[in-house]
Amino acid sequence: MTSPLAGAATNRRKFLGLAGLSAVSVAGGGLLTGCGEERSGSGGTADTGKFADVLPAKGELPAGLPKPDLPGVKPMPDAYSSFPTNLVDAISEKPGTSGKEISALTPAWGPAPPGMANNAYIQAINAELGTPVNFSTHDGLTYVDKLNTLLGARDVPELLCVPQWEVDRLPRFSDATKALFEDLTPYLAGDKVKAYPMLATFPTEAWRTSVWNGRLMAIPNPTDGPFAWSFFYRKDLLDAKGLTYPKTIDELFEIGKQVTDPRKGVWAFNDITKMVAMLHKAPGSKTGWRLKPDGTPEHQLETPEYKQAIEFMAKVFKAGLVHPDVVATSGGDAKDLMESGKILFLQDGPGTWQGMQAEQQKITPTFNIQPVPIFSATGGDPLVWGDWEPISWLFIRKGLAKERVEELLRIINWCSAPFGTKEWVQREFGVEGKHFTNPSAPAKTELGFKEIANQYFFISGRQPVIPPAPETPRYVSELVAYNNAMVKYLEKDPWEGIKIEFPAAYKAASTPNEDKITDIVRGRRPLSDLDTLASDFRSKNGGDEARDLLAKALSNGGK
Amino acid sequence: MSASETTVVAGSGEQPARPAAPSGKKPRRRSRAPLRARLRRDWPLLLMTVPAGLLLLAFHYLPTLGNVVAFLDYNPYAGDTPLQALFSSVWIGFGNFDLIFSDPAFWQALENTLTITVFQLVFFFPLPIAMAILVNSVLSTKARSFIQTVVYLPHFFSWVLVVTFFVQMLGGAGLLSQELRQAGVDPPNIMTDPDTFIVLVTAEAVWKDAGWGMIIFLAALATIDPNLYEQSAVDGAGRWRRLWHITLPGLRPVIVLLLILRLGDALSVGFEQFILQRDAVGRGAAEVLDTFVYYQSIATGNYGFGAAAGLFKAVVGLVLILVANKVANMIGERGLISRS
Amino acid sequence: MVGSFLKFLALSVMVLVVLIPMWSVLVTSLASRETLAEAGGSMVFLPKEIDFTAYQTILSGGIVTRALWISTLVTVAGTAISLTFTVLAAYGLSRPGSVGHRPILFYFLLTFLIYPGLVPTYLVVTGVGLKDSLWSLILPTAISVFNLVVMRGFFQNIPQDLLDSARIDGAGEFRILLRIVMPLSKAVIAVVGLFYAVGYWNAWFNALLFIDNSDKFPLQIVLRSMILLGQSPQFSGATTGSLPPTESIKMAVVVLTILPILVIYPFVQRHFIKGVILGAIKG
Repeated sequence: MTSPLAGAATNRRKFLGLAGLSAVSVAGGGLLTGCGEERSGSGGTADTGKFADVLPAKGELPAGLPKPDLPGVKPMPDAYSSFPTNLVDAISEKPGTSGKEISALTPAWGPAPPGMANNAYIQAINAELGTPVNFSTHDGLTYVDKLNTLLGARDVPELLCVPQWEVDRLPRFSDATKALFEDLTPYLAGDKVKAYPMLATFPTEAWRTSVWNGRLMAIPNPTDGPFAWSFFYRKDLLDAKGLTYPKTIDELFEIGKQVTDPRKGVWAFNDITKMVAMLHKAPGSKTGWRLKPDGTPEHQLETPEYKQAIEFMAKVFKAGLVHPDVVATSGGDAKDLMESGKILFLQDGPGTWQGMQAEQQKITPTFNIQPVPIFSATGGDPLVWGDWEPISWLFIRKGLAKERVEELLRIINWCSAPFGTKEWVQREFGVEGKHFTNPSAPAKTELGFKEIANQYFFISGRQPVIPPAPETPRYVSELVAYNNAMVKYLEKDPWEGIKIEFPAAYKAASTPNEDKITDIVRGRRPLSDLDTLASDFRSKNGGDEARDLLAKALSNGGK
Repeated sequence: MSASETTVVAGSGEQPARPAAPSGKKPRRRSRAPLRARLRRDWPLLLMTVPAGLLLLAFHYLPTLGNVVAFLDYNPYAGDTPLQALFSSVWIGFGNFDLIFSDPAFWQALENTLTITVFQLVFFFPLPIAMAILVNSVLSTKARSFIQTVVYLPHFFSWVLVVTFFVQMLGGAGLLSQELRQAGVDPPNIMTDPDTFIVLVTAEAVWKDAGWGMIIFLAALATIDPNLYEQSAVDGAGRWRRLWHITLPGLRPVIVLLLILRLGDALSVGFEQFILQRDAVGRGAAEVLDTFVYYQSIATGNYGFGAAAGLFKAVVGLVLILVANKVANMIGERGLISRS
Repeated sequence: MVGSFLKFLALSVMVLVVLIPMWSVLVTSLASRETLAEAGGSMVFLPKEIDFTAYQTILSGGIVTRALWISTLVTVAGTAISLTFTVLAAYGLSRPGSVGHRPILFYFLLTFLIYPGLVPTYLVVTGVGLKDSLWSLILPTAISVFNLVVMRGFFQNIPQDLLDSARIDGAGEFRILLRIVMPLSKAVIAVVGLFYAVGYWNAWFNALLFIDNSDKFPLQIVLRSMILLGQSPQFSGATTGSLPPTESIKMAVVVLTILPILVIYPFVQRHFIKGVILGAIKG
């Protein structure tokens, strides 16, 4: 790979932090979330390794970008501890030529930012672009409702952002891409991408995931970290009790018991089932699969590791170590509880870290959350779930004139300018003096916080890097250290680079199964139900069908 | 005001204030005039219904046609427009219904719905009647109107608010649990226990609507002739006897009417209330028909399946209300549909 | 008297069960951070002080303030439109035997039984150009057939002699409606108006589907995103370090959501029995 410079990191962390990915839960490594499509469909696979002819050629980053001072162990992104003094002006021409307003739908978490008419940030960036983008920012947690309605009504905006974890919940999505979105192959394949130099710098792996029906259909927003889940703890509060993070599964339970004190309103955990399954080394690839030594695929439900994990979780719930509020709501409150010290451990997306730290240290100066280094519950090396799927894909509405598509691509290109460029600072922080102060270590103003909600981030992508986080000075080096320590345990996905469309029955059973697991860990069903669940999974719920599919994918794919 | 003096409860056909017409026949009286003359006379009435009628046509009936996807293997992405998609999707007749009936999750949802309906019929339905009788016996007008003001109020709160109130009061970290814990008692899992979920949703429904449900019985009570009570008191009838022989018979038409309405609605136990709490107690207890339809059609985009489930619910609702009405007529009550 | 004591007890329970949660919500919304922390849990029952910080925060011009205006606008305009059309249709349907009475009534009542799916409704609303317009929060739900039936029932209870004599005097139907029927029907108009207003005020799903511009979100959407999803709102105070307790903010939004209902309610409440019952039973 070329020198990896760009800046998704801050943004993604921030948005994942707000997103409450624990509530979205299918973010990755999730249990049994298939993506089968045709109702009677037996699913299908596509080896994206074959798509070389539709993928864009890899291009060079703009000259003069600063060098990262905290290198990541490949393939983890490099990091910067400070902002560069000289910004590169990467794009000299105004990308927008028509001046005709562009409609776009993007997700946002937390209170919606003001619309274009009342938003100085959007107005400023639109002025840079030359053609205004009119965002509809929609609540991230009901985004799928909106998406399904828009797709069903075939009324999509010119630019539509589809988060990666929602794709599984959109039926017949490959049909939808064919019917509703522009085929970008003629615009971006091979050397054609040179017209959009920023897009050319994206990792080829991210482009590979943007192929549907053999054509390049979307622009990926590459992820800056592969980990599906992190396990945070309140270091400040544990320190005060003279405790430290657990290094074995028994310690985890013990510490949980020690810190739980209902009379003070304090419990140990939110729902940490997925984390516990991972600590027990249950498989997580492609919604929970791995290969047995004999080469046949095996789902986590069928593994002894998973069963052990569920037993452990049932014990945790039974001992009353999980905050009752988490049990009462769908889990969205868990962050609040962590922030107010009502729980001391939080299973959540990795993005929570910086956002929560920055926010809370203003209220509680001693506030300190850290990730628990992943350990193995059963001895040997730990296992860390994750994948390199992009954060989201950006689709362009089908049937636009060629000039319009090119204009949109130029706009996306502008928004994709990497860390170290003037454009990046503008997109990220808005107008100096208005939305942020102190250009050497930009800090958002009140207006900045109010108006900037990753609008342009969700219509762009980049070669990911971890940019500096001046509010939380220790954070970047801590993150790089954690990343570098954990990446060697990243689970190897036997189907990497293969797009799997799981059979309909498998997909249909995923949520009910997940509900049943929840019932079991919460003591509403006996543990023995897990065996029934596994045998039903094989025979009735498409498990064996999915297994055949996965096995076939490997023999056909030649991977 | 004339209106307040008219009989309230009877639900007795049309215009009680026109004694001249022989009952049952009077609606026909006007129709003797030729159509043209009637049109000349009634056109303003017709015109008045037009705006509302058009709104329903546009925003109710027109989109209702979309329910045809219940009979299709609907692929919204076929053809170039939604309409073409409709025409090019394969007609599968009752295929979606077959799928529904073979889906255990559907039966689970149906069972939950009916259980909750029956439970609420037993534990919710009589409450407003009892409350109305209680409130009616309060002599001070001021006290009575204060009580009414307070207990009607929650009817006007959205479900989000009602559920919020319950979580904040009874939830694991709510007021009650906090107090109990401080007193050294282990608080129960009121909001999250699937076994008692049915009690919880009923309690919420009672909190929100029992007071409001009282209103109709209060009105009915107001129409019972006070002389009847005096007479029977003179005859030496006790409080319970009077309740049994005068009050309840006076309320009977309303009770029957409301029972019919409730039965006709047996498959709806409230959508929002359940979708808000479904995740807290798990789908096993909290999935009802309405949430099932929602999750099938919108949350997973399985439009045909969801539409079929919705149609099933509508047809069963129609049958139920007709049957209940028939039964009411048979036992000598004036049901619902014999009017208008 | 044991009987009257029990009665008093039962009535007190009825009233307190409603008042206590509302009281606690109010007290929590006015609590300071310290009080909240002391309470250990999230709700406060005994007031220690009155602290308006939460209200100042949400009303300092931001999404809540804007949403408050939008909701007010939609509620006022929507109620006016709904009432107008409902009064007209209810009167038009109040005379059995008039031309087309039965089929038209059937046409209205049929809506109880079948209802449209979401995607077709979306197609119609966007098809007639209401997307992202506040009209999309009003027109699709402007007619409640239930309210219409209630009002029709009330109208039918007006003594026909009054109307007949007006007709003999040569008054047209519109004139009769305006001059005779409506003045006699204040109760039902007030009650049905309240039903509509509360409906508009509490609605959120249509906004989710039809409104793209966040400047047009109604209050319930904001309330939901704060309360249900447990998101900490990023208020302007966030960068200055003076973030008030979120629990107070949430409860302050709850209070703001209830307040308009509490304000209108007493004026309509005395009409309840007359308005609802006559209509409903007669209907």
